[in-house]
Amino acid sequence: MTVSLEAHGKLPIFEAILAADLPAHEPHPPRSPIHVSHLVLDVRLPTFVSQLTISPPTMSRLAQSRAAPAAARPGDQDGELLQHSLSQLRFTDAQPEPDICPVCKSSRYLNKSMQFLVNPECYHKMCESCVDRIFSHGPNKCPIAGCNRTLRKHRFRKQTFEDIAVEREVDIRKRVAAIFNRREDEFEDLMDYNNYLNDVEDITFNLVNRIDVEENEKKLAAYAEQNSKSISANASLASQETQDYSALQAAEREQARLRRDTARREEEEERRARAEGRQDIINRLASGTASAEQIAQESRVTLKKRMDKKAAAERQRQLHAAAAAKDATNGSSGFLIKGLKTKKEVGPEKPFDAFGGLSFAKHDYCVLQDHYEWDWLNEVRGDVQIVAGGYDVQEFHQRALCDAFAGLGVFVGEEAAARDEAAMGPGAVKAAATAGAAGACTGAKDIKMEDPF
Amino acid sequence: MTTYLTEDDIYRTSTQYRLWSFTPESLAALREQTHAAAIERAKKYLGHGNGTTGHSDGANGNCEGDGTVADCLTAEEELRLVQRYADQIRTTSDFFKWPVNVKATAVQYLHRFYLSNSTLTYPPRETYKCALFLASKTEGVHMTLSEYARRISTDAQLILAPEYKIIQALRFTLDVRQPFRGLKGALMELLNIAAGRGAVPQHSRTGKTGAELQTLMAELPGVADGDRSTWAAPAGAAAADPRVLADRAHVAYGVARQILDAPALLTDVYFLFTPPQIYFGALMLADSVLAGFYLSTKLALESPVRGKVLATIGACRDMLGAWSPQGVMSKEERAGLEARLERCRDPTTRDLVGAMAAEKRGGGDEGALDDGVAKRRKLEREKSMKEGEDLFGPSLPTVGNAA
Repeated sequence: MTVSLEAHGKLPIFEAILAADLPAHEPHPPRSPIHVSHLVLDVRLPTFVSQLTISPPTMSRLAQSRAAPAAARPGDQDGELLQHSLSQLRFTDAQPEPDICPVCKSSRYLNKSMQFLVNPECYHKMCESCVDRIFSHGPNKCPIAGCNRTLRKHRFRKQTFEDIAVEREVDIRKRVAAIFNRREDEFEDLMDYNNYLNDVEDITFNLVNRIDVEENEKKLAAYAEQNSKSISANASLASQETQDYSALQAAEREQARLRRDTARREEEEERRARAEGRQDIINRLASGTASAEQIAQESRVTLKKRMDKKAAAERQRQLHAAAAAKDATNGSSGFLIKGLKTKKEVGPEKPFDAFGGLSFAKHDYCVLQDHYEWDWLNEVRGDVQIVAGGYDVQEFHQRALCDAFAGLGVFVGEEAAARDEAAMGPGAVKAAATAGAAGACTGAKDIKMEDPF
Repeated sequence: MTTYLTEDDIYRTSTQYRLWSFTPESLAALREQTHAAAIERAKKYLGHGNGTTGHSDGANGNCEGDGTVADCLTAEEELRLVQRYADQIRTTSDFFKWPVNVKATAVQYLHRFYLSNSTLTYPPRETYKCALFLASKTEGVHMTLSEYARRISTDAQLILAPEYKIIQALRFTLDVRQPFRGLKGALMELLNIAAGRGAVPQHSRTGKTGAELQTLMAELPGVADGDRSTWAAPAGAAAADPRVLADRAHVAYGVARQILDAPALLTDVYFLFTPPQIYFGALMLADSVLAGFYLSTKLALESPVRGKVLATIGACRDMLGAWSPQGVMSKEERAGLEARLERCRDPTTRDLVGAMAAEKRGGGDEGALDDGVAKRRKLEREKSMKEGEDLFGPSLPTVGNAA
């Protein structure tokens, strides 16, 4: 049995427990190795021990059903079961015995399938039948004495955590996280992001511990209102990330289809409008109710209207963009976030530059001309055999002139000496020479030729 | 944000500038060091002249040990021998009718190789063909090895054997900046000036138009005494005739080109100067008046670097001018030197072909590699041979196990 536990201090005791749990008559270790590495480490030892020496009635139903065939005798637990009981230390949907509904006082002993529900409004626990009974006809007061909150049936749910305080904290955190859902890449740097997280944590902490609840709720609401757009955008981003690829593709296809449909419908509408307009004009001309000029004028007006409609749509779009921009700068809520990035429009990609911004177009000593009075060069221009391949004499001009002056102002003597001094200090030339000569002397033996075979 | 690279900056990025540029002193010191190290080594394998060395290399026993340290070539002789073979490369390249850039590259490879290697270790007779073949590949002249070997009547393996050593000694930098194309560029500009279409950059402050430049060129005095250009102003023609001016430029170009071929390749100018300085030096030798005029269109009189550039070009011109064909070693002298070299050369590099083959085989037969490595490679080879007869062939070789 291999155990990798990160709680160093508790390891010996843990091993002792494991050793004690192993039945003496079992000749070989159990088949499934336990890997306990990511457990909650602040487990208190007494709880730990009591959970380890678990007896079948206190186990979760799931664990029981899985343990049943493997462990017929009490205490004959194999690794899997132990793992289960470990993982259930804090998170459990099982209720401790005896289970009695605080409202109707019926116990699980009488009703095996009894389930307890809570309402996040007050977190008072009651059985399912009580909920049905009291809240089926609409909102009602909580039946627990002293609690006057009004509860609704649809908000009742199964309790996830044994500790009701944890349950409540998790709920609050969920709610706050859904609103304050900025992402790290929205911030200029990590410091700003951490500051933001810190502020959010302050609010959460206050809500959890009921400090200035009114004020914090107000902050939360104000922020939610003012940043509704970015909140929904981030929420959809997050959900997109959780969706798998194919679902994403399907959604995109659906979107594209919708866009196509919309475009087609608009086109159709416009065509119909135009046809109707023309028919109308023809009818009016035929009936002679108005002069031709007047009708022409009117049709121009219609056209203008249509153009105006387009312009209005454009304006609307611009307005939306402005609103989005305002949203990005998070407006004037009581909760100010510093260091948010302003979203930039990405411009079109620049053409690829093979030399990474280096240019050779500048000549210190010469001017590159199109034509040079050298017959030997200019014969080439007319030679089909050479030109057909795409050869350009200008290439040669450029190369020859570059060669002609590349290094004219480089003084090898001075620069070589300065370079050697700088690189290795005086006398290094000698050392290098010696090294080279020594290398030569050792001859064939020292050469590590890359093995070609 | 565009950064401009001037021509000088472009040259500063080259490996020739970064690795193969020296001051005269550092160049001499480097050669001295190489020679001293080779002598040190020779003392070991020559056994201080008594001929009874401890080498057990049976194949080389007949030649080994009959020389003394006193037989070793001096640094001066080594350098002259290398230059003799540089000349040999030129002849061979001309025999193949290869363009001049192959020749220059090959000669430069040879020079660079012998900066860090001694002729005592690798006699140039064995390396120069390889240097030329390597240069032909670098410069894009495509001749197969077998064709190359056939035409110079040499064994192909002998040509290839020192190739890796050479490339290694070149520090894997195969680019050699040469003055030939630059000289063509200068001629192009001179011809345009002669035709009255010359142009100077805006910022050079010489501020001349094409016509002014043409007039200036026409007013130049004739070829100075001592210059090598054979041009003389024709008696009948007007001095300002563009054709006459163009002719002067052509003649100067031709002479400079000759200078760039012989002295420039056989001296150390490539190590000490940049290609533009080299061809300007050659132009100065050919027609100092014309070269001075051309340079003055590039560098204004008040330019701060003008004096320095002129001095550098002057030094290069002197170096090129000091060279004479008589300086190249004669055939007899070479034969004498090589006979001595044969007695005192390094026995371990005698069999380059064998060494290369052994290196390729993994050194199993020679014992040159560690015994463990050799044995492992041999086993691997045998295994792969055996597996080769399997239904699906041998398994793929595992990478990196030899390291």
